[in-house]
Amino acid sequence: MNLRKAFITAAAAVILVVWSFPVLWALLTSFKTERDVLAYPPKLIFAPTLANYTDVLFGSASLLPNLWSSFIVASFATALAMLIAVPAAYALARLEFPARHGTGFYVLATQMLPPVGLIIPYYLALQKLAALDTYSGLVVIYLTFSLPFAIWLMVSYFEDVPREMEEAALLDRAGRLRALWHVILPQVRGGIAVTTIFVFLNAWNEFLFAVVLGGNRVRTVTVAMFNFISVEQTLWAKLAAGAVLAMAPVILLGLLAQRHIVKGLTVGAVKGGGRR
Amino acid sequence: MSRPAEGLPTIAQRERRFALRLLAPALVVLVLTTTAPLLYLLWMSLQRVDLSMPALSGFAGLDNFARMAGDPRFWASLWLTLIYTGATVVTQVLIGLLLALLVMQIPRGQGALRVAAILPIVLAPVVVGLFWRTFVLAPDFGIVDLVTRWLGLGSHNWLGDPRLALISVIAIHTWQWTPFAFLVILASLAALPPDIYEAARIDRASAWQRFWRITLPLIRPAIVIVLIMRTMIALSAFAAIFAATGGGPGTATEILNLYAYRTSFSELNLGYGASLAVVLLAITLLISFAMFTLRKAR
Amino acid sequence: MSAAGTVRLEGIVKRHGALTVLHGIDLAIAAGEFFALLGPSGSGKTTTLRILAGLEPHDAGRVIQDGVDVTHREPGERDVAMVFQSYALYPHMSVYENIAFPLRMVGTPGTEVDFGVRDAAAKVRIDHLLERKPGQLSGGQQQRCALARAIVRKPKLFLLDEPLSNLDAKLRLETRVELRKLQRALGVTTVYVTHDQEEAMTIADRIAVFIEGRIVQIGTPNDVFEHPASIVVAAFIGSPPMNLLPGTIQRGSVVVGAFESALGREGVGDGPVTVGLRPGALSFADRGMPGRVDLVEDLGDSSIVNVEVGQQLVKVRTQHRPGVREGEAVHLHFAADALHLFDRASGARL
Repeated sequence: MNLRKAFITAAAAVILVVWSFPVLWALLTSFKTERDVLAYPPKLIFAPTLANYTDVLFGSASLLPNLWSSFIVASFATALAMLIAVPAAYALARLEFPARHGTGFYVLATQMLPPVGLIIPYYLALQKLAALDTYSGLVVIYLTFSLPFAIWLMVSYFEDVPREMEEAALLDRAGRLRALWHVILPQVRGGIAVTTIFVFLNAWNEFLFAVVLGGNRVRTVTVAMFNFISVEQTLWAKLAAGAVLAMAPVILLGLLAQRHIVKGLTVGAVKGGGRR
Repeated sequence: MSRPAEGLPTIAQRERRFALRLLAPALVVLVLTTTAPLLYLLWMSLQRVDLSMPALSGFAGLDNFARMAGDPRFWASLWLTLIYTGATVVTQVLIGLLLALLVMQIPRGQGALRVAAILPIVLAPVVVGLFWRTFVLAPDFGIVDLVTRWLGLGSHNWLGDPRLALISVIAIHTWQWTPFAFLVILASLAALPPDIYEAARIDRASAWQRFWRITLPLIRPAIVIVLIMRTMIALSAFAAIFAATGGGPGTATEILNLYAYRTSFSELNLGYGASLAVVLLAITLLISFAMFTLRKAR
Repeated sequence: MSAAGTVRLEGIVKRHGALTVLHGIDLAIAAGEFFALLGPSGSGKTTTLRILAGLEPHDAGRVIQDGVDVTHREPGERDVAMVFQSYALYPHMSVYENIAFPLRMVGTPGTEVDFGVRDAAAKVRIDHLLERKPGQLSGGQQQRCALARAIVRKPKLFLLDEPLSNLDAKLRLETRVELRKLQRALGVTTVYVTHDQEEAMTIADRIAVFIEGRIVQIGTPNDVFEHPASIVVAAFIGSPPMNLLPGTIQRGSVVVGAFESALGREGVGDGPVTVGLRPGALSFADRGMPGRVDLVEDLGDSSIVNVEVGQQLVKVRTQHRPGVREGEAVHLHFAADALHLFDRASGARL
């Protein structure tokens, strides 16, 4: 028995390493000088330097404007998506209306569209509206995947609220809208938080739309990283620093909200919907 | 507040109107951002829109699709898509299942593993692709190469060698998304009531029998969900492969959506690119429909 | 106190897909009455209650309150308060806020709200718990909080959906009495759903017995107990329920198996019948229906003796030790007017 547990623990430790290694390795590398990076066998003890970070943050190809762009686009897209999604999800979860199931399927189906098929019309549309390489253009396009995803997650949270609580509020003469506001929304506060995190993560990590529909003014951190690699071919320490900065927000969010993310994943998984 | 009953809205009607008010903004946005572009895409797939040869633009009927049928690069990309999707999804689920089963037996380790599982999932796929291209798979300096050299298996061009590239990108996708399968299946396992196992033990069922006859059927819904979701994602996966290989070397990792992208944006043949995207969409819808029907039938 | 109201249901029909859940329910409830809807699970009693509340759509029929047709009014427009089986308290609000909620929703001024909340809480004796949240209350306290929330508005109609079913047996008995006293004090028309016939019998002024979406009898508890309208009602009411045995009427006598007894009443023709005898109406004597004791259930201050009569098991309730042993041959005696007769085919009372 002990041998068995030891074996399993060893296997689990291996997986732990495999999953966390890239992030930890990048973190480590970001504090090395370029010379130390190329050393073989790889150095674990070295004199750390912040040069890479200062270069990436304040150098010629600073990541700061990109971090800012990502933040703006992701925040606005998330806020807008949640504002629209929460009432819609409530309607889908609780109210009776014709074509209710059809509407549900429709929302689910919109998540299955391959983004590559949508960018061509988007590009042409935004071009006509002179909205290429603008924040508003990108935020609206980001709604494409943020909105159905948010709706689908919130529907399952709304379905968990006991019907009788709603009915009690109606009988207490609250009316539908006030019942939603005073009684039901407080019940799904946790769900709203989790969904917001997921939607934000998704938007922050988006690449295809950002690279095609963005440009010089609106360049998110994912696009910047992609360009990084072609320019800074062998400046790996700098690349590592850039990647750490680019991913720090989502990693921190992920670690902080880790328990909720696990719950949210499984909730979303049971009811449908997904991440790209 | 008294109202006569005739001619005025019933409770059901008022509920419907309320629902419509709540749904309207969402439906408007969805129709604008998905249905309208989709129709446009369909229309464009019937056009000949070649920005590199503008003179030839015009309505082309089903020409694009006819061309596709005889396009070996298309069939290759289709084949690659199926291999890629099948391989990564099956591997994710198998490893995730195995891990979840193992981890159930070491309750102390579960917490640490759950935290570590978050890391691959929250990273941007494009950054994951870049990570692997540089730190992991680069010849001579990447981690994998260091290991293979240390094991005496030599150095290889993991992403540049056409034979290895496909395996590499499959590995990348699998690395990033196995934790998802792991977390979902683990949650499902943790929710199983322990008394049925005790009953099974009393009925003298072996460990394998307990797994096969009790555990597996009970976690099947979770596995099915994971299969469906991961398949959908794998079919439209773009950023990681794009960052790692760009579809290359040559067309060795050019799955269908990458082919569509390259046709539209590198070769500027929008009409043909649109038709490729339409085919990808049709395949995605078909597979998802099949999977959902299978799921309901069981 | 609160303005009591009359309630009428006319021809309520409800369908659920191809299934008809309610086959035309007619009810007239007087002002201030404590009216119970009694029936087994799935009989339609809760559905009827919810239709009264306006929470459930129906396919035909009308709901009339105080002579006004309220069929199309929203639940919030009917001046109805309801206590749900699960209590449906708002978990994120304190007990005070829960009770205050219905008053706040109609814009009651703050001082009135405070007075109303404390008054209602005092009536159900939870005034010392006002700052707590529902999650911190026991089951009984939660139930009283739900009650307070319902009575604080002084509604015209008070609906209760199996409010005692989540309480343990002892608490159930205590709360039953309290509920009854509260209703008497408030004088509000109350409709009460339960599947527990003993509960309905002890607290209601009148009972409507629901079986499979139909009302099979309406009457006072005494009516229903002494004069069940059919074998279905007879079998449902009473603990243990009425014994039902096949028999025949022949020339003025009732014959059950090998036993014959003179029928002390007029107007019943010959033919096959079902004979009903309450366990409490039977006793052991030297002469009577023959049987063999199968099992004795000693309940302390009373006993239930299971006696095999022919092919059937008849239950006899005795007040003290029964004085019989298992396997013993006995005779069951009953008074002539304790005999209930039902038509064998239709089950209706004769």
